[in-house]
Amino acid sequence: MSNQENKASRFVRDMAANTEKMLRATELIARTRDEDVNIGTTPKRLVMRRDKVELFHYEPMAEATARTPVLLAYGLIGRYTMADLQPDRSLVRSLLSKGLDLWLIDWGQPGRTERWLTIDDYVDDYIDAAVDRIRRDTGHDRVTLLGICEGGVFTTCYAALHPEKVQNLVLTITPIDFHADVKDEAAHHGFLNIWTRSLDPEDIDKLVDTYGVLPGEFMSSVFSMMTPMRSLTKYNVDLIDVVDDEAKFMNFLRMEKWLADRPHHPGEAAKQWLKELYQENRLVHGNFVLSGRSVDLGSITAPVLNVFALDDHIIPPDCSRTLGAKIGSNDYTEIPLPGGHVGLFVSSKSQGKLSQSIADWLLARDATFASKA
Amino acid sequence: MSEKDTSSVNAPDAALEWAKLWQTMAESSNRIVEAWSGSMAPFVLARLSERPGGFGDGNEISAAIERMAQGPRLADVWDIDRKMALAFGAWIEMRQRLASYSAVASAPWAEASKRFLAAMSATGAGPAPDSNWRETFAKWSEISNEELIRNQRTDSFLQAQKELLQAGLQLRSRQDDVAEAVAAMLGQPTRKDFDEVTRQLTELRREVRALERLVQAQNPDPRHAERAE
Repeated sequence: MSNQENKASRFVRDMAANTEKMLRATELIARTRDEDVNIGTTPKRLVMRRDKVELFHYEPMAEATARTPVLLAYGLIGRYTMADLQPDRSLVRSLLSKGLDLWLIDWGQPGRTERWLTIDDYVDDYIDAAVDRIRRDTGHDRVTLLGICEGGVFTTCYAALHPEKVQNLVLTITPIDFHADVKDEAAHHGFLNIWTRSLDPEDIDKLVDTYGVLPGEFMSSVFSMMTPMRSLTKYNVDLIDVVDDEAKFMNFLRMEKWLADRPHHPGEAAKQWLKELYQENRLVHGNFVLSGRSVDLGSITAPVLNVFALDDHIIPPDCSRTLGAKIGSNDYTEIPLPGGHVGLFVSSKSQGKLSQSIADWLLARDATFASKA
Repeated sequence: MSEKDTSSVNAPDAALEWAKLWQTMAESSNRIVEAWSGSMAPFVLARLSERPGGFGDGNEISAAIERMAQGPRLADVWDIDRKMALAFGAWIEMRQRLASYSAVASAPWAEASKRFLAAMSATGAGPAPDSNWRETFAKWSEISNEELIRNQRTDSFLQAQKELLQAGLQLRSRQDDVAEAVAAMLGQPTRKDFDEVTRQLTELRREVRALERLVQAQNPDPRHAERAE
């Protein structure tokens, strides 16, 4: 048999084996029920409900090391469960194990009923109410804010508008300069920025006015486009890699469950997000107005930790880096970490780095605060 | 027969095998989807993007319908028919935009194939697949990904996608007009009514909460303030 025939023969055998694996994956999937795939399971207690928004307090997992309570705020695109995907890949669990007092604001599942909610409502009402409740329950004058992605923008705005209530500001994968993607030469970075700028403002108005929201399925399809081949192969070829390992297979399903749980973005808030921030880049220019007040980044006086992912294709690193030069605080720390937008939170490689960075930084500030007190 | 000769004879066989196996893979994918429909389907299916369908034709048809529908109105007579005609015209327009988008979106596959074959030839494997299927596929995937992403950033792609979005929204908007008209005929509240109610509710909440904050501001220790929760 010739060398070429051998290659073709091996190729066919490989393919037959892989097809068999895919069939096994089919059987495995058929046996798995929705209730077998659990995410966001770290124990927490409901403290407050305001409309669809809920404030939770996580149960402590270790002796307290930091004094100031930490409020975690995710964005409205996707859900907080990314930070608590599974026990061994959970920023939440990891921070709790380091002795932090962790609270969570969950935006719930906004629908057409929330069409008229604006970012003003999220920052000046929901976050403010949560902060006040934590202050009341804990006796602290200030809280530490931990924002993720769009939640990072909300907490940044809050820290600028209500500096008297913010002890520290921790941001992860947070866009500040929405046009800084042009500095990024990686071809797979920043498509969301380019795509949003390619739309007319009237398109965004019409999208929201037609659906009443920015539909979650629509944003899912935009995100899928950003990793085109991965989106095409993950339900077939990629399954071959996980079918022999139940743990990997369940990781895959948990990730899928998080990806699929993409709530609609409240309509008017979506117009602000896409037009005023992505298109007009108002936050970095100081003309983003909430509740009648301009958000002045220079008003942020609390210590700031800014963590971003070096291979973040959704929020290019330069979009986050800008913050350092804009804030009024002298205590600014930047931590670039390897990984992507989601990988920073859920990949096995990054586990520990993010939470350790945040905990170390916070404990240093809390000690400073305690000694001053 | 020399090895070179064998290679040229076997290449079509290998390509045939490749095609068959891709077909098997596709069938397996279908089986996976079917299996999921009994378990994880409720959220997985919701995420499947709409696949581009055939190539619509009839810009002239949609324009004619538009002209007819936008013609003189006789009070409310035939209003539903007019709205349905407009919705149909918008559907034709959307199909056409979908066809244009599909043409632009599928363009990079040809370039990806060309690059992939060149890469395979450069490794000495020729057009036949290499022995390590995963490596070969990884190369194909890498090249395709690069080409797809490159294409997505072009003005022509972004323009085609924007026009498809605009056409889709126009269709949805006109479908809503039909639904609104039917609901009004049956005396049912419409989506616009719902939006108006939620707008009033949201504004009312804001007013109540502004008053609440005003009261709280008079409390010297905000840590002990109660909010209506």
